[in-house]
Amino acid sequence: MTKQNTLREIEKKAYMSYHQDGLLDIVIGLYALSFGIGIIIDRLWEFGFATIMPAIMVSIVLPIWIHAKKKITMPRIGFVKFGARGSNKLFALFLGLSIAGLGVFVLFGVFMAAGQSGRPFWFEMLFQYGMIWIGLGSAVIGSLFAYTMGLKRLHGYGWLTFALFASGYFLRIPFEYLLLTIGIVIIASGAALMAQFIRRYPLPKGAQDNGAQ
Amino acid sequence: MAPSDTDIQNVDRLIHEPSRLTIMMHLYVVESADFQFLQNQTGMTPGNLSSHLRKLEDAGYVEVTKEFLDRTPHTALKLTRKGREAFKEYRRNVKRFIDKLPE
Repeated sequence: MTKQNTLREIEKKAYMSYHQDGLLDIVIGLYALSFGIGIIIDRLWEFGFATIMPAIMVSIVLPIWIHAKKKITMPRIGFVKFGARGSNKLFALFLGLSIAGLGVFVLFGVFMAAGQSGRPFWFEMLFQYGMIWIGLGSAVIGSLFAYTMGLKRLHGYGWLTFALFASGYFLRIPFEYLLLTIGIVIIASGAALMAQFIRRYPLPKGAQDNGAQ
Repeated sequence: MAPSDTDIQNVDRLIHEPSRLTIMMHLYVVESADFQFLQNQTGMTPGNLSSHLRKLEDAGYVEVTKEFLDRTPHTALKLTRKGREAFKEYRRNVKRFIDKLPE
């Protein structure tokens, strides 16, 4: 192994140990779960909950995530700040996906406004197989994040979403139930990871920092 | 006799020591880390890590900041610019030396 590879391995090991606490998975799972619950609530009371749910989740889950990172992860493995290289790649991915998402949204709006006669054939096909396309989009987004963050399990979540949405389309399972299933599976995976993390890194006894020696 | 470019004598002996090389490598790949994280990653004992860090700090390679967070002691560590340059130079020198070794 070359020295360059050794450094990459060390960087990867440091990064992985910081993201093996399962917190990210629990947040992703909670997000899918809440979106599914939001749609069910909407169907029952027509409240428009699914629209505001993502915003509610961001405002609630994000502070909880930061707090949990401080209370669960940092006391066990310590604190590390990674360089700007990884954050810049992640920011570029977020920006790219946001622009692509906005593009899709505008395109969708234009074609929907055009009425059925004005829509091209390919758009009708996209619309008809919407659930499959959403699943495929999730798989691609999951893979992009997996590659950027170096977290292979995000590939799995993305392709699991695709598999569930595709089979859900053919089995006519409502979208919200698929979201609930995905959410529960990802939360369970996150909880298993967290249990493993807590076992592997028990809380140090006594003073937590001996750098003052 | 003056050492040549490919002479092993050129390498920084402070970094060349295995424990300190491990510390330098781990700090090189991150922006900063605390004592506990470094201890976890290197598998060194607190006393050992602390004594090697002191040597690296004395050489100006590592910046050590001690503070209290939530009433617990916290030691933040990062490579200084001098430390990064010294590590890069060390890598160049070792590579040059190894490349010249016969198969």
